[in-house]
Amino acid sequence: MANRSGAAQRPNGTQGKICQFKLVLLGESAVGKSSLVLRFVKGQFHEYQESTIGAAFLTQTVCLDDTTVKFEIWDTAGQERYHSLAPMYYRGAQAAIVVYDITNQDTFGRAKTWVKELQRQASPTIVIALAGNKQDLANKRMVEFEEAQTYADENGLLFMETSAKTALNVNDIFLAIAKKLPKYDQNQGQSGQGQGRRLAEGDQGAKTPGNCCK
Amino acid sequence: MKISLFKSPELQFSATTFFAKQHKGETCGSNGLPLTPNSIIIFGKAQMLKTLKHPYLCEYLDIIRGKHERTIVVSQFCGKPASEFIGKNQLSISEVKKIAFQLFTALNELHKKRIVHRNLSCENILIQSNGDIKLFNYGSYYMTNNGQLVTFPIMKLAYSAPEVYLSPSKADIASSKVDVWSVGIILIEFIFNKQLWSNLKLGQQIRKILSFYQCGTSIFEKIAREHNCFDIYHNLPQDIKEIVEQCLQINPKNRPSCEEFLQNEMFVEYKNVKCKNPSRVCKPYQIFTLKELYQWWQLTGGDVFLELKKQGLIRSSPPVLSLPCLIMLDGTILGQGRNPATLYDFRIVHMGLDTLYQRFGHIHLNSCYPLLHFKSDIIDMFDPAPYDIKNLPLVIKEKDPEYQFHRIILFRRLLHGYPFTKDMIRKEAKKDIPPLLRGEIWAALLDIKADYKKAYAVIDKETVTTTDRQIEVDIPRCHQYNELLSSTEGHIKLRRILKAWVQKNTQYVYWQGLDSLTAPFLYLNFNDEAKAYHCLSAFVPKYVHKFFLRDNSAVIREYLAKFSQLIAFHDPELANHLHNINFYPELFAIPWFLTVFSHVFPLYKILHVWDNLLLGDSSFPLHVGLSVLTQLRTKLLTAGFNDCILLFSDLPEVDIEKSINYSIDTFKKTPKSITAREHQNEEFTIQSEHDISGVTLDDLNKERSPRISARDTTDLLRTAPESILVIDIRNPVQFSRCCVRGSINIPFSSVSFGESNIENIGQHAQMLKNSQERIVIIVGSTDTDLELFPKFLLNCGISKVCVLHGGFNILTSVTPTVLVSQKFET
Ligand SMILES: Nc1nc2c(ncn2[C@@H]2O[C@H](COP(=O)(O)OP(=O)(O)OP(=O)(O)O)[C@@H](O)[C@H]2O)c(=O)[nH]1
Ligand SMILES: [Mg+2]
Repeated sequence: MANRSGAAQRPNGTQGKICQFKLVLLGESAVGKSSLVLRFVKGQFHEYQESTIGAAFLTQTVCLDDTTVKFEIWDTAGQERYHSLAPMYYRGAQAAIVVYDITNQDTFGRAKTWVKELQRQASPTIVIALAGNKQDLANKRMVEFEEAQTYADENGLLFMETSAKTALNVNDIFLAIAKKLPKYDQNQGQSGQGQGRRLAEGDQGAKTPGNCCK
Repeated sequence: MKISLFKSPELQFSATTFFAKQHKGETCGSNGLPLTPNSIIIFGKAQMLKTLKHPYLCEYLDIIRGKHERTIVVSQFCGKPASEFIGKNQLSISEVKKIAFQLFTALNELHKKRIVHRNLSCENILIQSNGDIKLFNYGSYYMTNNGQLVTFPIMKLAYSAPEVYLSPSKADIASSKVDVWSVGIILIEFIFNKQLWSNLKLGQQIRKILSFYQCGTSIFEKIAREHNCFDIYHNLPQDIKEIVEQCLQINPKNRPSCEEFLQNEMFVEYKNVKCKNPSRVCKPYQIFTLKELYQWWQLTGGDVFLELKKQGLIRSSPPVLSLPCLIMLDGTILGQGRNPATLYDFRIVHMGLDTLYQRFGHIHLNSCYPLLHFKSDIIDMFDPAPYDIKNLPLVIKEKDPEYQFHRIILFRRLLHGYPFTKDMIRKEAKKDIPPLLRGEIWAALLDIKADYKKAYAVIDKETVTTTDRQIEVDIPRCHQYNELLSSTEGHIKLRRILKAWVQKNTQYVYWQGLDSLTAPFLYLNFNDEAKAYHCLSAFVPKYVHKFFLRDNSAVIREYLAKFSQLIAFHDPELANHLHNINFYPELFAIPWFLTVFSHVFPLYKILHVWDNLLLGDSSFPLHVGLSVLTQLRTKLLTAGFNDCILLFSDLPEVDIEKSINYSIDTFKKTPKSITAREHQNEEFTIQSEHDISGVTLDDLNKERSPRISARDTTDLLRTAPESILVIDIRNPVQFSRCCVRGSINIPFSSVSFGESNIENIGQHAQMLKNSQERIVIIVGSTDTDLELFPKFLLNCGISKVCVLHGGFNILTSVTPTVLVSQKFET
């Protein structure tokens, strides 16, 4: 289970490892990316969650056995126009959650496009999870569970149906990702701000972190 | 003498209250979003009623939401209900005709706006002292979506048309013909001077009314006989009798409309009579609107809730009493007695204005007529001392009744003279903007033209487009804590405005965030969609020119680069820190500038920011951005990358007034060219050879300090030489041949840039260290490096460093010259 407070401090005396992972959320606008993050990080749900412009950054720590996993989460804007910003965020990410809305078939299609893009452009070792969100609205379902499961299996993705509203599978999907990620201790060497820095530097040199809004 | 201005019999108001229907069980709509509470739907719908102004209608003033879906309606209330006259004073036939005329006129006004009264009775017809009528409480049926949003029926039994009882199709429910029937009954009551069916129980009354379906003859005659008034009926002049008969046609189709009734010969004599007190040329009422009075009343402590509580309309009961016995899985609630408060509460609470009279008692009559264009010493002598609280915080100014009184009087007169008074409006707006008139003042500041309504009307806002889905999912996420914007009506209006804008601005596309940008305008002009649209349309080219291009990358990146430079200009320490941790504006400031903070701050803060923005130019948001950073400065300086970005993902509370004052301050202290951009709208800037041009984005991204134009440099040299320090970095020979008056020479080659130590520049180091408030302008030439030197100063923490665009040579063409030759000087 996710530990909401002070999880970064290891229990005294034990030899726990600390791992940091950069995770990015992608998916069509209004599928509930920000809501999932808000649920995971703060345990809250806002019916009137504001839309995301650009991207938002949040962190959350979970404990896995003797390992403390710190997620650095980039929640991106879903509107197609912000697409060009996305590489700046998924570049260098170790994990991605691609979200769709189970009540809307189009968002599932968009999710598949994102998966393809990640498979082509992101790090080859990236762990991708597919989240069919708004599971609480199952009576308005337009994407069948089996259909998504099959797709996920074919592409080697983690898959869960989630609900940011009821909290169903929200922590679980993050934990499942944490489990799948290779863990090496970051206590020695890299400082706590390593991941973010990598993002900003990007591939194009320090001065052009993102081809913003192109 | 002075107070009498407020003491018109018409300047009175009252409140009524009712509960909206609560949603049961299912709380999600078909789109998965929570259902909008009915009281909010009502709140949104009722706004339109506030725009109605007619001599025969009481004015709606306010809609307030209370706990548990309570709605409170504040409305003008003056005169006495007609029901109090019936049975006492017999009206003459001509008086009845006059009332008939006024009823039809008032109803026609409503019907034209598609409002059906549905609840017309002698109780909500108020008779004024001059005999004129005013309808009261005519909007209940309308604001509750034809009664669908409340649990009680909106009707008065005895006055309701028979078809109302037949549960007919929806279209019929909202038919305006039901009102015509009610007029018929009311006229009969006046003519017979008798309340109809007063001794019948409810059920009997309904049966009576339904029995008219079987009545082969005249309904009027039938009623006359039943009430022993056949004589009066018989002797009634034909014209009025005819009117009543037509009103009481059993088939609504056969009832003429109010408009048709008004064509009747009988009413000709009333048509040209001015409805009010024609003897006085200037009626005192006209200098104040009821809405202003209501606002001042609230500011002086008037509290509608309190009044309702005092008079027992709001009662709290122990929560345990409202617990149901059983809740089914589907949400159905059983075993709970019906709360009588959810029934129709006909009580009306009148609100006294005594505190207002007291508070405003001393205000001099002259204050109501401020002289705008012409003043003389003699006039001044007689003027009361101005009420001055200029230097108090904005929140206090906005809450001070007397201050608001003066500001509103002044602004209203200025707005009346718009567009000729544009400059004066601008000048006054610099002090502050009274909230009550903000919508109009903003429109004036944005140069909205008088014929704006027509232009909006013709735009296609309906055709389906590919943008619709995005707009659809953004609207329910846009400032939804606000009652207006979260109401159904609010959603509809926002959608229409956005669609209209996208349709009209084919060079642009809908970017997420445009919804937030529109929200303040819609909020301020909720009853005037066209104005909100035009404000948006005027705002975009002025402040976010090209931001909504399909490919806005170059525009946004230039803007962000300018932001970085502005930070460096004013706060080198912060700039250096952010630079060192790679914390770039791209990561946090896109929503700030794309939406001019409308996606970042709550509405009440945006309003204050934009109050000032509208007096500035498109560089103002940069300064606001800087001021936000400044408020978080201490935190930022000690934070690493992650903590910085976290800070902005969940922006802490910003003291907006402090921020605004700081922004205005840096805005004033920053030469215009420092923030000049290639992509700013030429329409609002005149370019000359002495301005900055031709700087590429790559250049911009390389240069950490901004450029300054020759024009600004020479202006400063001429008008405020003490505020600048010109550093000439050319070699000493060039410098002594010719240089800027008062400049110092630090040859580029004489400095070792290795470490950031200001002493490296030699003898002038001290001077630079103490230059704090001075603008440091670096003048070089093509063979000097114009990046290294300013970067060095920046790293040394020297603020206000900028580089002359075009280098020394550009100054040679300036006349009269700002250059001197050292040779001749010494
Ligand atoms: N019923 C239900 N609604 C949800 C759920 N998750 C999100 N929502 C709602 O869906 C809407 C969109 O959610 P967001 O989290 O803003 O979506 P997003 O993917 O971040 O959208 P962008 O920021 O535009 O990319 C909001 O109104 C949420 O309240 C869920 O699990 N169940
Ligand atoms: Mg989001």
